[in-house]
Formats: sequence, C-alpha cells, structure tokens
Amino acid sequence: MDKRRVTNNIRKLRFHHNEMTQEQLAEQVGVTRQTIIAIEGGKYAPSLELAFRIALVFGVPLEEVFGYTAEDGSA
Amino acid sequence: MILCYYLFNWVQMYQEEGLNSAVIFRLWVIVIVAGILLTILGTILTNIVLSIAHAIKTQTNTEPRFIEDERDKLIELKGVRVAYVTFSVGVLIAMITFALGQPPLIMFSLIVLFSVIAEIIGSIAQLHLYRRGVQYG
Repeated sequence: MDKRRVTNNIRKLRFHHNEMTQEQLAEQVGVTRQTIIAIEGGKYAPSLELAFRIALVFGVPLEEVFGYTAEDGSA
Repeated sequence: MILCYYLFNWVQMYQEEGLNSAVIFRLWVIVIVAGILLTILGTILTNIVLSIAHAIKTQTNTEPRFIEDERDKLIELKGVRVAYVTFSVGVLIAMITFALGQPPLIMFSLIVLFSVIAEIIGSIAQLHLYRRGVQYG
C-alpha cells in the first residue's frame, strides 16, 4: 500500500473568510487553538466529525478542506 | 515529593533497624494515600492558579477555555498506555526479584517505585506527543 497523508487547506480558507484567526475557528468547532495549529501543520489528522465541523464553518465540501495525497506528491 | 519522602524513610529504616515489615507496610499505605490526596489537591490548586493567571493576563473576567478536545484525549490515552506498559514491566521485575528469593518487602517497594516511574514516563510521553504530533493507530 502506498504511503499517503492527510493534507489541508485550512490556512487558505481562513484567509478567505475575513482572515479568521485560529482561535476563532477553534471556538466555532469546539477544540483548542493548539489542535487547529497541529491540524494546519499536518501534525494531527482530525476525526471525521471534526473534519466535517471545520468544513461546515467554511461552508465548503470536505474535499475542499482536506485531501489525502501520496507522500511523493502525486494525487 | 512523595517518592523522596518514601525513599528517605526507607533508607533511614534500612540503616537503623533493617526492613521491618509492619513499619514499611504503614509507610507504603501513607505513600499511596498521600499520593491520591496530593494529586486531587494539586489539580484543584493548578486550576485556581491557572484561572487567576488567565484573568491577570487577559484583564477580563471571562471563563478561560480549559477544554479537553479529541487530540488531548488521544494523547492522554497514548500516555496512559505507555505508563501501563512501564508499570507492567515494573511488576514483572518485582515478581522476578521475589522468585529469585528476595523478601516480599523488596517486591512491594519495587511496585511502589515503578508506579511512580510509570506516571513520570507516561507524562513525558504525553509531552513528547504534544511536540511531535500524534496520529491515530
């Protein structure tokens, strides 16, 4: 099985939503700011429920927030 | 602190009168009860101090958000697993010493010692996971 990892566009989406801060996003989805930092930095892959909550805040489908790409960069 | 108290009393007793089972069992009970009480007291005091520090830093009277989310719970679970494995190894070592002919007091003392070591290693593992990041599985 090829190695894949969860990627995300949270930083970009925050920027496009009135430059939402990590703290604001954290409050809206009910986690700590440290968890948002860890997700953005690729150090933590969130649960499916949290992933859906984040997508809901931005009003976009899940695939626009998270990706599952191969570690060598191919899709 | 409790470990220091325990070791200090243990060494003192060993030097003065040898290992007396009645006294060392009393010491053992004191250490366990003190450990439980101090943990509860420490948690309450930490929360009070953190709330005061938060109020001073933010200059507001709002409730601080000390929430534990899914990442905290995952890290805590992994930390507990590390502590459990460490304690299991400790119990095994303690039982081996007993099987090799050491007195039961050595076994019980090793179990107490490893329970403290396991807690410390579990906490270190949690700190490490907070720094390095954590994944499911």
